[in-house]
Amino acid sequence: MAGATEGDLVTGGTSQTNAVAAGAVGLAVLLFALALAALFEAITISEPVAGVPVVTLLGLILMALGGAVITFGVGSYLGYVETEPSPSAGLVAATAFSTIWFVIGGLVASQTAGLGSLGSFLVASVVGGGTFALTALPREDIGSTLPAGALTLLTGIVFVTGTIGPSWVWALGFEQQASFTAEFVIPVLTLLCALISGWAAAKAYGGFGARGRHIGAYVLVYVNAGAIIGVLFVLIAFTTLRGVPGLLTGFEFGPGVGPEVGLFGVSVALPFSLPFVMNGAALLNDFQGVLPAIVGTVWLVIGAVVFAVPLGVGAAIFLTEYAERGRLTQAVEVATNGLWSTPSIVFGLFGFAFLVPRFGGNKSLISGMLTLGFMLLPLVLITSREAILAVPDEYRDASAALGVSKWQTIRSVVIPAALPGVVTGVILGVGRIAGETAPILLTMTGGTFVPGGQTVDVIGGFQFTGAPPFVANPELLQATTALPFQLYALITAGVGLGDTVANPADFQWATALILLVVVLSFYAIGIGARYYFRRRLQS
Amino acid sequence: MARTSNEAGAGTGRLARRRRQLRDFVDETEPEALVTVGVMAVSLLAALAGFLAVSPLTIVPFVVFLGSAGYGWARHQGLTARVLTFSMMVSTILILLLITVFIFVESLPVIQYESVTVSGITVPGLRLFTQTQWDAVSPPVRYSMIPMIHGTVMVTLIATAIAAPLGIAAALFLSEIAPPVVREVIKPGVEILAGIPSIVYGFIGFTILSPWAADQFRTTGQGTYLFVGIVVGLMALPTVVSVAEDALSSVPESMKSGSLAMGTTDWQTMTSITLPAAFSGVSAAVLLGVGRAIGETMAATVMLRGVPQLTEPLYNVFYGQATLTSLIANNYGEADGLQMDALFVAGVILFITVLVISIGAQYIEWRMRRKFGGDV
Repeated sequence: MAGATEGDLVTGGTSQTNAVAAGAVGLAVLLFALALAALFEAITISEPVAGVPVVTLLGLILMALGGAVITFGVGSYLGYVETEPSPSAGLVAATAFSTIWFVIGGLVASQTAGLGSLGSFLVASVVGGGTFALTALPREDIGSTLPAGALTLLTGIVFVTGTIGPSWVWALGFEQQASFTAEFVIPVLTLLCALISGWAAAKAYGGFGARGRHIGAYVLVYVNAGAIIGVLFVLIAFTTLRGVPGLLTGFEFGPGVGPEVGLFGVSVALPFSLPFVMNGAALLNDFQGVLPAIVGTVWLVIGAVVFAVPLGVGAAIFLTEYAERGRLTQAVEVATNGLWSTPSIVFGLFGFAFLVPRFGGNKSLISGMLTLGFMLLPLVLITSREAILAVPDEYRDASAALGVSKWQTIRSVVIPAALPGVVTGVILGVGRIAGETAPILLTMTGGTFVPGGQTVDVIGGFQFTGAPPFVANPELLQATTALPFQLYALITAGVGLGDTVANPADFQWATALILLVVVLSFYAIGIGARYYFRRRLQS
Repeated sequence: MARTSNEAGAGTGRLARRRRQLRDFVDETEPEALVTVGVMAVSLLAALAGFLAVSPLTIVPFVVFLGSAGYGWARHQGLTARVLTFSMMVSTILILLLITVFIFVESLPVIQYESVTVSGITVPGLRLFTQTQWDAVSPPVRYSMIPMIHGTVMVTLIATAIAAPLGIAAALFLSEIAPPVVREVIKPGVEILAGIPSIVYGFIGFTILSPWAADQFRTTGQGTYLFVGIVVGLMALPTVVSVAEDALSSVPESMKSGSLAMGTTDWQTMTSITLPAAFSGVSAAVLLGVGRAIGETMAATVMLRGVPQLTEPLYNVFYGQATLTSLIANNYGEADGLQMDALFVAGVILFITVLVISIGAQYIEWRMRRKFGGDV
């Protein structure tokens, strides 16, 4: 569908008068970037740039932008610019503009003019209602540019005249005190004006009408998509930047510096040493590490997968292959979706009330495993079901036509065909539960710093006993730690952290980074597997 | 009256059919296979009962179950597989039932403790919602849920204000606007956004956003509903995007092409055809996003103050006290007795709210699927 309306015929018709509109869009982009920089404190609004204070600079650009938008709108109305405006800017724009102007009117009346609540409400209603009429009633070129341009112009004037200057503060007068400061208000107002005027300018660039609206809306939608990816990128890049110093503390590279690793009876010293992920925490350690938490997370995930995957896949098989649609299958679907949306902390409470008393009354690794398994179950069921449903019926029919029994068909035709989907779903589900803190908080948490000697060893922990239940595994029945919990404990430990690790902030960020790496590698594998299988299916 | 008897008739008819099916099944199956399946079923039920009763002997019926299942797998694979998968399917319902029962049972004492007598009738648990004091230490000990409900509502409102418009716009972008190459980048990006653990969001919020917000708004101490709401909104965003995108792509292509053939722009087709047609699915997406926001725990726990009280005034978003989820995560450590039960009350409220939202969203989606004539 994309691009269906963008022919050469239309774009070729852009005249040079549209340069004004294009210039306005450019100004809006510039303002957007400046406001973001100010918000993240990359530039300080009180310091001058080339002799002009940043606030004044922002104000001047805002005024230019507002002026350009209004000029274009009026020019189009008077017929100087060739456009195709609709009879009205529409109710959505009118509602949005009147809301903004309602707020402005109310604030000016109550804060600047000092009117009472009734008076300011009246003023606000008049301003808001007037904006609504101004937007909805006249032709689109006036309706969509004047309110936006006026807003931007007004903000610019307020900035230039210093009504809102660098030292401006508005105490809200709440019982729990809070104020708006210039450092927050100026960038946010600039962002808002840039967005609104940018939209109006983009609309003008498209010559209003259906095509103008199309362009205006697309600008907003693209900005939104870009912002989401930008946030993701910033989050990951920031965590990486802050985490790497702590992660690399004590990193050594060279033959024989690493710990001994035994494999098939042959013991080899690794050629590198990364204490943060190879050590536990101990008094005498040169560098503290989080090895027990990493191992704990791995075992948690293994336990949850062993519990939930057979259960979920089996249930999905019965649901899709055997069951006739009826009350029972509907109940299962509702239950699955209900389980999927149940908050993780509720799973934690359930594990605390149901599992902990049944495994020795203490918080234990196995309680954590099962709790996470309960969380993983609906995800596995839903994705497996989708994967099994996606297997074409022809496969089943062909197999049945050969006289193969139902179960044989499922086992040798349906499951292999559905396997890629199931595997992908399981990996993505595992990525989700590996980072969960809330459920294990109540079911398996140990200490903040766990010595390397207490790293769990589930396989070595099995023993047989004389009394029922005959099999015991103290490792499973002990509390241990996991990466997400470790990070939580590091946050809550606060000041006391400095006694154990040399550089608490580095240690925290490094833990966050390791957690992110563990979880996102599950996602990377899952997404990669999906691409691989899809490509193989297509070729 | 006539209708009910009709329904009863249909019910007995179905029952009779079931019974006949069962009899046929018993007649057709070998006796030995029947015995195996019977042993499996009985031992599994016994193991479940033993587990519920905290019996150390649970292992015995469980081993019997494993043994009979192994034998059945070797001799009567088809039947055994069917019975096994059936029991697996039932277990999902069982787990939901167990969650419901156990968190309810645990919350009963405090509901009883907070009973109020209104004009002669004792209403259990009413005081949880009629006064605003949470004090677990000094008498009078009171466990009000009002401050936490207020916090949850504040956070959810802000989060929805962020996640709903941005999520729907992103879903439109992914399903209708984006060129394939861009889509292949942004879709996994949204998925990864969902994958970042909530404690990492919380950690960044705690170390970067909270101090910054306290500085910007000149508040006393750190923790604001505003920024928790924004972070939680970001976390609910992927849910909204993926569900809304499914809804938008389920609108038949013929409807969109029909509109485009009339000479409309892409955007006109979206606003006047695609969005209205997918409206119920998109609202289900927003509902599910709201459910996510309500249940979000760790970010709220580390970013809020953790003091269960109302903000002054009520709409003061610059202070963040506690939500239902953060109450549980903050207090589970030192809580015992009644206070622990009070945490379960918070869990019950969360569970019921989110379950109702989930069922509502499913109903809406079901109606939408029926409208487009897909398989229900």
